[in-house]
Amino acid sequence: MTVLSRRQFVQTASASSVFLVLGFVPDTRKSGNPSFLTSRLSDVDLNQFISIGTDGQITLFSHRPEMGQGTYQSIPMILAEELEVDINKVEIRPSIASNELYGSQMVVGSRSIQTEFDKLRKMGASAREMLKQAAANTWNIDTKDCQAVDGKILNKNGDSLTYGELVAEAARLKPQQDPPLKSTSEFKILGKPIPRRDIPMKTNGDAKFGIDISVPGMLYASIERSPVFLGQIKGYNQDEVLKIPGVKHVIETKRTVYDRERVGVAVLADSYWAALQGRKALNVQWDNQELEQVSDATIEKDSMEAAKNAGDELFGRGNAGAVFDSSEQVIEAIYQTPYQSHVPMEPMNATVNIGDGSAEFWGSTQNPNGIRSFISGKYGIPEDKVKINYTFMGGGFGRRSMTDVVEEAADLSKKSGSTVKLIWTREDDQTQGPFRASSMNVCRAVLEGSKVTALEHKVVAQEIRNQTGDNMTAGHQIMGGINTDYTIANLSVRGVLRKRHVPISYWRAVYHSTNPFAHESFVDELAHQASMDPIDFRLQMLDHPRFVRVLEVVAEKTNWKGAKPEGVGRGVAIAERSGAHFAMVIEVTRQGDTVVPTKITTALDLGICINPDTVRAQTEGSIVMGLGACYAGLNIEKGAVKQQNLNTYQLLRYDQCPEIETHIINSDAPPDGAGESGLPTVAPALANAIFDLTGKRIRKLPMDLKA
Amino acid sequence: MASVKFIINGQRKEVDVDPGMPLLWVIRDYLGLTGTKYACGISVCGACTVHIDGDQVRSCVLPVSAAEGKNITTIEGLSENNDHPVQKAWIEEQVPQCGYCQSGQLMAAAALLEKNPHPSDEEIAQTMGAVLCRCGAYPRIKKAIKRASGV
Repeated sequence: MTVLSRRQFVQTASASSVFLVLGFVPDTRKSGNPSFLTSRLSDVDLNQFISIGTDGQITLFSHRPEMGQGTYQSIPMILAEELEVDINKVEIRPSIASNELYGSQMVVGSRSIQTEFDKLRKMGASAREMLKQAAANTWNIDTKDCQAVDGKILNKNGDSLTYGELVAEAARLKPQQDPPLKSTSEFKILGKPIPRRDIPMKTNGDAKFGIDISVPGMLYASIERSPVFLGQIKGYNQDEVLKIPGVKHVIETKRTVYDRERVGVAVLADSYWAALQGRKALNVQWDNQELEQVSDATIEKDSMEAAKNAGDELFGRGNAGAVFDSSEQVIEAIYQTPYQSHVPMEPMNATVNIGDGSAEFWGSTQNPNGIRSFISGKYGIPEDKVKINYTFMGGGFGRRSMTDVVEEAADLSKKSGSTVKLIWTREDDQTQGPFRASSMNVCRAVLEGSKVTALEHKVVAQEIRNQTGDNMTAGHQIMGGINTDYTIANLSVRGVLRKRHVPISYWRAVYHSTNPFAHESFVDELAHQASMDPIDFRLQMLDHPRFVRVLEVVAEKTNWKGAKPEGVGRGVAIAERSGAHFAMVIEVTRQGDTVVPTKITTALDLGICINPDTVRAQTEGSIVMGLGACYAGLNIEKGAVKQQNLNTYQLLRYDQCPEIETHIINSDAPPDGAGESGLPTVAPALANAIFDLTGKRIRKLPMDLKA
Repeated sequence: MASVKFIINGQRKEVDVDPGMPLLWVIRDYLGLTGTKYACGISVCGACTVHIDGDQVRSCVLPVSAAEGKNITTIEGLSENNDHPVQKAWIEEQVPQCGYCQSGQLMAAAALLEKNPHPSDEEIAQTMGAVLCRCGAYPRIKKAIKRASGV
């Protein structure tokens, strides 16, 4: 992969292999607007990640769009570590969107550091070795006698040359495919809590998001869609709308969400406000057919019925069924979770121009190259004629990995002949989805003394990758977060696939955001049934070193074995997500007639921590989102989402956020994902704590916190 | 259409727009000050918070006509060099993640501290509890406000 992309890069570069990047916009340097252009004319690219000016200015390119996860900083940190430059002195710039140069640039599944770590180290190291070779050539000595230190190459005679002085010569050299890498003990940058460079531009309004894009001559668009997801248009009031000042067009459009087309009527105007006024006057009549019969109650009934099926075995060890058949007492519990909305604070939007033989996109996306190929494929425009200008994202959480909003904007641009800036309202975002799937989890087990002899966890849910068609076989995707590392001799994980008209998609931690609530609550129920301490109960079923370690650390940090304060309940949970292992203890107390969490302590092991402060921030953020999902969920009424906006779908607020304490286990192992892994343990640890305090077992989210 | 005059970030401006248009869209789309954000449109989340004559106001529901003759400050006008005490504290505590809601958080915090330089935890919670952050920067917002207020 690394080798390939480097070769491709070199082939792409000019014949002299000095790749001068043309075109520059000076003000992008100040604002940090990811404005898609690379560098100054005096800059020389040593590879697609590293550009060095002959004046010594070093620019590192971050190739993964930033939505808050911190890779804008942590990608250049990895490059700078191997390149031997001061991360606080380099320029950090977003790269262009280019599959050819960068491979995938999609930011999903907490993967950017996991998958890119080795490649980025090699890129940094390879450029460093080129600079060393250039210096060695200048001094006519061996590279072994050259040392890279803080942007300079030194030799034993005390001579030094800056990277700026060496770059032109270095760029003529052949890059090493497998350069020597530093040992982790030599790291000067990685593992340090280095301030993020995108933060100052996020405190003064400078940072540009998709919704901030303005293109001369563009029209603003807003689209009315059926609140019932697959509703068809019967009629609307076009003539009246066209009389509204500023309104230019009324256009029928559609978007595709996992193989299903969803139609809408768009109003295009010279201001967003005028487009909204036009939309209000459309008065679209919808044919929603029998879908209006669907509600939470019908969905729950369907799940209950479906749960009677054996389903498909997704993981099996031993023979759980035989143990159940021969046991007198099988413990069973059913857990339910609702649909959730992503709610990135920046509502979905896209600005698109579909021209004659070329196209351009501006906006916030988790998937820049996906947009490029989508537009190219749909309009028959070569990929190199589709320009992707990606910005900072005002949150993503999975929602911005899709191309549906771009599809609408592109359609409207093509049909109107103008550049179109489409902005979804918050109500659109809240009611149209796709959503985090709702689920029913049926857990069964047999206990012999304190030993779990058999456990079955059955997930009844829609699956993201299989939402339409006749294939009703459940896939492995829906078993995410079910802990098969518990050393239970007879363990069965089963799935029963449901297909519904409510669209679903990837949401932070995906099925790890629902299944662990059931799994770790059920393990807690078994511990109580066995009259064992919940941590000891888990430890007796674990030989996985990371799980054992994080449990031990969280027990120590919360004084779990010590006397519990009066009026405090404590709950524990563990989970793995994106390779990262977490243990969490939540403490709760009564406040008035409700139970509230007062402190959340977590221990985590995710291998090498690139920027520990970013890992802490992501853990805090995952916990806040997970806690919010304990308190709120979407309801389906008459085939549509009931909660229209943030007054009824309430996100966690500042005053509801408990103290969070994060303990990071030191590790030399390759890095795992940090962006979602703090979320799965929140709901079960909270439910277990509430049981500890009140004796009330919560098996359905959102929680009723009255006690 | 109607002409509305006001002072924004120290500059006199006159716009000719639908008087019912919320101030938010005038600020963003007509004056090009995009630091103030749209997020809910119903005055629930606080991302659109600006100062009008020193008070924090949610610009997404305020008709521009109500701003006639007023003195408006947006995030771009909070300080010359990103050095208002709340901005410095936000950077020091590494508060923003995606950053989208942070203009609103900062404008709310600045207005709070202007009127009450040393707020209690309850007073902070009352103001900041009304500004939503989906990334969950709340623990850091708490530290930053305390830093900015010297508590």
